[in-house]
Amino acid sequence: MGSSAKKRTDKKKDFNKPKLKVGKSRPKPTNFTDTSFKSKSIVLAHQSITTTAPTQSSQFSHHLSLLSSKSSTQRRDSLAYLTTAVASRPAGSPLPQPISVLLPKLNPLILDGANGVRSQLLLLLRALPAKEIEPHIGQVLLYIRAGLTHLAADIRSSATETLLWALETCPDEVVSCAGGWIKTLKCLLTVLHWHDPVQRTTALTGGGTSNWTSSKAAGLGNAGAKGNLPVKTLNVLAAFLRAGLVPAPGERENTPFQSKWPFPLRHVECHMLPKRSNAFAHLNLFGAPRDEEGEMYIEPEDRQRIFHRRFQRAVNMGVEAGKREGGEVGRATAAVGKTVEEGMNDFEVDT
Amino acid sequence: MPKRKVGALEKIDADLSNLQYKIRRDPSSYKDDFEGQYSQYEHQREIFLQAPSSATEDGIVSFRDLIDFVAHVSDCYPQHTKQFPQDLMGILSVYHEELEPELREKIVGSLVLLRRKDIIDSSTLLHTLFPILITTPSKSLRALLFQKILSDLRTSNASATNHKLNRTIQTVLYNLLGADRASPKGLWAVKLTRELWKRQIWTESKAVEIMKEAALADNEKVIVGGVHFFLGGDKEREELEDESSDDEAVDMGRIKHQMAINKKNKKKARMMEQAVATVKKKERKKKQPHPLNFSAFHLLHDPQGFAEALFSKHLQNRRSKLNLEQKLLVLQLVSRLVGLHKLTIMSLYSYFIKFLTPRQPSVTSFLASLAQATHSLVPPDVIEPLIQKIANEFVSEAAATEIASAGLNAIREICVRQPLAMNDTLLQDLVMYRKSKDKGVVMAAKGLLSLYREVGADMLKKRDRGKEAAMSLRSGQRKEQRFGEEGLGEIEGLALLEKWKEEERQRQRLEKGLPAEQESDKEEEDEEGNLDDWEVEEAQDTDDSGGWINVESGNEIDISDSDDDKPRTKRTKIDDEASKADEDKENVDKKPEATTEKPSTLATTRILTPADLTKLQELRLSASINSALPASQRKRAAQQAAALQARHADDPLTAAEIEGLASLSKRSTKVEKIALARAGKSDESVHQSTQAKRKEKKEALGKSTTNREKARKKNFLMTLGKGKAKGKRSLVQQGRVLKAHIERGKRGGKKGNKGK
Repeated sequence: MGSSAKKRTDKKKDFNKPKLKVGKSRPKPTNFTDTSFKSKSIVLAHQSITTTAPTQSSQFSHHLSLLSSKSSTQRRDSLAYLTTAVASRPAGSPLPQPISVLLPKLNPLILDGANGVRSQLLLLLRALPAKEIEPHIGQVLLYIRAGLTHLAADIRSSATETLLWALETCPDEVVSCAGGWIKTLKCLLTVLHWHDPVQRTTALTGGGTSNWTSSKAAGLGNAGAKGNLPVKTLNVLAAFLRAGLVPAPGERENTPFQSKWPFPLRHVECHMLPKRSNAFAHLNLFGAPRDEEGEMYIEPEDRQRIFHRRFQRAVNMGVEAGKREGGEVGRATAAVGKTVEEGMNDFEVDT
Repeated sequence: MPKRKVGALEKIDADLSNLQYKIRRDPSSYKDDFEGQYSQYEHQREIFLQAPSSATEDGIVSFRDLIDFVAHVSDCYPQHTKQFPQDLMGILSVYHEELEPELREKIVGSLVLLRRKDIIDSSTLLHTLFPILITTPSKSLRALLFQKILSDLRTSNASATNHKLNRTIQTVLYNLLGADRASPKGLWAVKLTRELWKRQIWTESKAVEIMKEAALADNEKVIVGGVHFFLGGDKEREELEDESSDDEAVDMGRIKHQMAINKKNKKKARMMEQAVATVKKKERKKKQPHPLNFSAFHLLHDPQGFAEALFSKHLQNRRSKLNLEQKLLVLQLVSRLVGLHKLTIMSLYSYFIKFLTPRQPSVTSFLASLAQATHSLVPPDVIEPLIQKIANEFVSEAAATEIASAGLNAIREICVRQPLAMNDTLLQDLVMYRKSKDKGVVMAAKGLLSLYREVGADMLKKRDRGKEAAMSLRSGQRKEQRFGEEGLGEIEGLALLEKWKEEERQRQRLEKGLPAEQESDKEEEDEEGNLDDWEVEEAQDTDDSGGWINVESGNEIDISDSDDDKPRTKRTKIDDEASKADEDKENVDKKPEATTEKPSTLATTRILTPADLTKLQELRLSASINSALPASQRKRAAQQAAALQARHADDPLTAAEIEGLASLSKRSTKVEKIALARAGKSDESVHQSTQAKRKEKKEALGKSTTNREKARKKNFLMTLGKGKAKGKRSLVQQGRVLKAHIERGKRGGKKGNKGK
């Protein structure tokens, strides 16, 4: 009896909760390690002091690898380092790493969860040379589009800014790269909730429901979350339409060939070497087959045609609704309307 | 940039699961949000397709979550998500090798979800998943896919058999096996078919055809899978059925008792209802007619061709790569086919010759296979050299006792199937072994002796024949059977049943006080009236039977009980006259049969009930037992006969049966003896008194203690005060206490649970 009782108490002791008392220090756990000692010096068995600091380029690639780090501050700091490295390099010298290496690392950061990272990323993108970005803009655009419809409002907002940056740096490439025109436009309209009413009614059976949703669409989305996002999006839309529909002023002047070239020469510009890189990309000789949405639309006429066929009605409806709203949104919408008018005035429907 | 305050609602909005919940409640209002997320999914998919192997998962919302989300709400927006299933299938079938495991699992799960929502149909799903199952190198994915495919097939066959789907899948499996015979991919076809066979989802001959194809494949694993199916598939199926009927046994009495005692609340009532429902369901299931399932052997087309192909391809073929164990399996299958369908493969028997030596590994299996392959249509002169060889190699004074008994058992098993293969000198020689000192050998020799007393007593020496055989030989009743001779096609023991019925009827008549034999003229007109209650009578008769040798009659009573529930009431309606007339008719039927020796017409004139059939079996058993034997021996004989009958004709002959009682002849060590003695008992590590055990059991069941036990356990400090005060009470106080006690008793305890 005695021994078993003892055993029982012993067993219980293991699971006893220490009693906490006010004013007394907390009892120490059994696995407590005393770290209160002090020492004047620590002797390491082996130590190495490298006299040579890591080179610029190795530091650059190190920070580049840190972009996929778990901590957001680390990512932001690395981005800041990269920004200064890119900005402070002597004029005319190439980037420490080629852009084709940089961009795959930078692109996912467009969808990064931390605000600081995304704003820093925009700074870095601005610092990159525009000419070199041009061939890769299709890749960036993929992530920008994903950002535009992201669940988090902050990411949507910063993706809008990034798109604005892309339109500023290389407007032609943005609208003419594969999938750049239709998909981006569709994405922007989805964000603004501008839908073609005809398509909508075919999709929905009940007419009443369509009325409800379209009235919500006129309210320009989740306005409570961020007041200026629709305005931003509208501005971007205007810029995008301008880039896509209004031809560059240089091309506008179609001077007669005779005056440009002396008599025996005709259509010389058609036979000259192409000015853009990868001139036959639109033929898509080696990639997977593309559908209508993923196709490249290089000529403004193509883009106008597509715009007229698929988007114009939705945009016009949206513009009208937006104008009625007035205020900042109304002004931005009016700008969009103006761009559309300007872009489409030389378009005639061919059947 | 100042910190922006984030509203609670906004925080919640950035949550796919929340959005999913909202969409499910009101799809039309959240259409815009869905469109946004769907385009998000599309963009993420594009990004993913750029680099499928290095899918980045560092964003807040991963591609995986989006797929999950869209799959869950896709039934709300069928127009928008038309392309979604095709997308998933495309991703899975193209990139399944390089996909990240979690994403891969999610895609598979989403596809199954879409199937459950009826957005895609089963055959599309299975046609997507099955090719991946075959090709993928990932083990976990294979396990997942196999489980999903199986469960999908089960659910689509749950309410009614989906013949179309089954047919397409079976064709796919069959083609898989036929396309590349050497590849191990066919194993999946085998696995799938076996599983579905086990669960009785596929029970038709097409599944058997698939397995037949598998057994004739070139890959060892596939062959073994196919052969195992034929040898054990049906047993597996039966076992599964037994298991499923065994589980979730509800003790109704206990629950009722608990309900009476414990506090009544809604939860308890619900539990009670559930228990009642399960019990009822079970009973209904029990009463349902047994599904008629043919075994795989019987569903086989062209067993002769199959057996020949198996034999020539895997056994005779010198280049076959099977090892001994696998060959034995194939041999078992071939011999079972031969025995069951009475096939003729002459070269099979000469194949056995070289394996019939005691040194051959697992020779008992070979012997069992040989016995299995023997049937009454095998020419005796083919078997005879084999028997001779077994006798020479195994059965001799010099051989070890186990070997001798195995040889004798094998010879007996062969001769049961083809008695003509034995010659009398050899038989007389072998029978002499019953004087051996070893028990196993004695038993085996006695078995052989008793066999030939029945089937060929004239081959035995005169003094070995036994009384019965000698008498019947002398009277000329017993005739030697010729090769290929078939008995008259009749139900064995039908005459016995008829006789028994007659006796029963007479007994009843005597009980009623009527003459045993009575002529009647109303028999004709009552023919129609009787038709519906003949079943009743049979059932009643079986119940009443008293003076019979009772051989395992538990079964039989069950059946007749279930039979006579309804008809008993019917019987009361029918007046005595009708029943009398019925009996009369029986008597008249009986008479001519008793005089002439023509086959009984009982089976041709009326339908035998299940009760009839069990009685028939019982009668057959008791007839085979000689009633002249002393009681103890009779009992043993009855047991043996019952065991013999319990063995179905389809059951395989195993090596254990050939080894027989060889274990008896082996001298066992002390350890083995102890283990044998302990085998039946549960291991008792703790020695306890019976009462302590009972108490523990009671506690484990969650039952309460008695008041006495409570009093005994009560902390003595609690009783101390009362004990002290008790002695110092004044008279008035004492009176009050007593009054209170009486009052309490009237109320029914302290809490007073009476009168509520």
